[in-house]
Amino acid sequence: MSTANDRELPAGHEIDTQRLMFAFFWWGGIWLLVGTLYGLIAAVKLYWPDAFVHPLLSFGRIRPIHTSIVLFGWSSFALVGLALFVVSRTSKVNLALPQAARLGMWLWNAALVTAIVTLSLGISRGPQEYRELIWPIALLYGVGLAAIGVSMIATVARRTTSEIYVSNWYILGAVCWMATLFTIAYLPFYQDGLGNIVIQGYYMHTAVGLWFTPLVLGTLYYALPRMLGKPIYSYALGVLGFWTNMLFYTLIGAHHFIFSPVPWWLQTTAILFSVGMMVPVWAGTGNFFLTARGSWPAVRRSYPLIFVLVGVWGYALASTQGTIEAFRSANIYWHFTNFTVGHSHLAMYGFVAFAIWGAMYGLVPRITGRGPSPAAISLHFWLAFLGGSLYITAISIAGVLQGASWVAGESFIASVDAAAPMWLWRTVGGFMMAASHVVFFINLWHMQPLTDSPAVMGERVPA
Amino acid sequence: MSLHTDHRALLGVAFGGFLILSTIIAVLPAFEVEKIPPNQGLAAANAAVARGRALYVKEGCGVCHTQFVRNLPVDAPYGRGSVAGDYALEDPPLLGTQRTGPDLANVGRRQPSETWNLIHLYNPRAVVPTSVMPGYPWYFEESIDADPDGTIVPVPDGFKPAGVTIVATEAAMDLVRYLQSLQQAELAP
Repeated sequence: MSTANDRELPAGHEIDTQRLMFAFFWWGGIWLLVGTLYGLIAAVKLYWPDAFVHPLLSFGRIRPIHTSIVLFGWSSFALVGLALFVVSRTSKVNLALPQAARLGMWLWNAALVTAIVTLSLGISRGPQEYRELIWPIALLYGVGLAAIGVSMIATVARRTTSEIYVSNWYILGAVCWMATLFTIAYLPFYQDGLGNIVIQGYYMHTAVGLWFTPLVLGTLYYALPRMLGKPIYSYALGVLGFWTNMLFYTLIGAHHFIFSPVPWWLQTTAILFSVGMMVPVWAGTGNFFLTARGSWPAVRRSYPLIFVLVGVWGYALASTQGTIEAFRSANIYWHFTNFTVGHSHLAMYGFVAFAIWGAMYGLVPRITGRGPSPAAISLHFWLAFLGGSLYITAISIAGVLQGASWVAGESFIASVDAAAPMWLWRTVGGFMMAASHVVFFINLWHMQPLTDSPAVMGERVPA
Repeated sequence: MSLHTDHRALLGVAFGGFLILSTIIAVLPAFEVEKIPPNQGLAAANAAVARGRALYVKEGCGVCHTQFVRNLPVDAPYGRGSVAGDYALEDPPLLGTQRTGPDLANVGRRQPSETWNLIHLYNPRAVVPTSVMPGYPWYFEESIDADPDGTIVPVPDGFKPAGVTIVATEAAMDLVRYLQSLQQAELAP
């Protein structure tokens, strides 16, 4: 087996890869700030609905802007930046066709800018979550994805190792799955009437589970062993997680439409395999924690490792919560409520964003030789951790209160009144998260490779 | 050939496996359910209602309002359980996933008043004090004429600039007609 710790590299390796990786990070950081701003405005408006009354900032228009930007902007850019680096490192070659990946980056940026413009103007495919964007923008994004994928696949094809390291399974899988998924989601032939909803459940769920999840796991299968200086606990568990994730995650999208006219067998299948999801989730979680076992003194001194392990914990929590939410009995209380919003933030923030930050802080200073001060990283961590926890707790309680009010048969406005104080706390948490993102952006500045400096070559340990 | 050493094989299995699973769980069922015919008596929307629906989609109303009643006691206030035939003529269908506001599948019967709907669209707080719904004042005109043409909206003082009369635009009227048209068709026994 190849291990993540091999690091003999060709001479002059990866200056281009580093610059490209960082270009993705910079854009990811910018989209994080933009997406956060839209999230904050939305949060404020839910408590003060007469704030910023303007068509371009109306709640129904900015909500899909927030989700599109943080999903297709921040999370995707940051993860692709990391993944480009990981495929190159673990294949022990320079990144192949970096021009293609760079082209993909610009196509994505063009797609996101046009996304903000069109959604602000209300040009939208309607409330079809994460596919609100009209097809020309989706096409732009899809071509960008294909270009990035070509670069990644070509890199693995040119590897100088015999084995394909497990990180690359997840990363290449993510690229080919997302390209397929996007195509199926936008082809119109089977989407009249309720056909649209069958595809909607499948798409909105699989986009998370077969794009973000495998990119994060692929990154962590490289980053965690690298940061701990020891091999992954079990390579086989990583392979098991890969196949079961593909099998189970693909089949469970219909659990977003429980008790709907979507065929009952489809809903039941989705609930059943939602339970099956515990296999890849705990295989991955267990693998990462067992890798960290015995290294707790090192973890305690390292905020990058704490970021990663909070992310792993977020993965386990969010996924287990998702399984429980799929049950019909739980659905009665939680569906349609803000509990779902808490769940999605636990997944995309507690899991995905924390893992990204940990991997960035853990890997980047080693290769650029530059890093932010430990105090700055800890400030980012505590603002993000406390703010995110407050946000998720408050909005989840809001969801429980809404559900309880509906089940009690109160008038609808009673559920709004019950949730309102929690919307205020959620906003407070949101401002803390936003502050942490500003700190992150500054930290990114302190990590970037110095241009034209020979020091960016090879691996360095920060002073 | 080994998946551990052959990237073509690995990609092929991952891609092929996913495509087969997606076909079974999404594409084929979608082809199947899109054939379900509309409910008896369900007619295509007239022009004003269709324009109103486009505005509903444009403003993202479906972000907070479902049009999807589950056949459960908790959903009883919203009407009968939704069936596939309710959505057969809809593009896109607006079932939704969040109820920050109430379900609207049958709101045309629950709240038929044109005046209430117009005031509510101008500023929801004028009729529901603790509502968190956005107002849509850009679909209304402020007239200083005491007797302007068009539908005058009796917005209470304090919710509009002093000394003006609020007049609904054609767009606001379309939106209200759409909301009034949201009435669940009775199902054939």
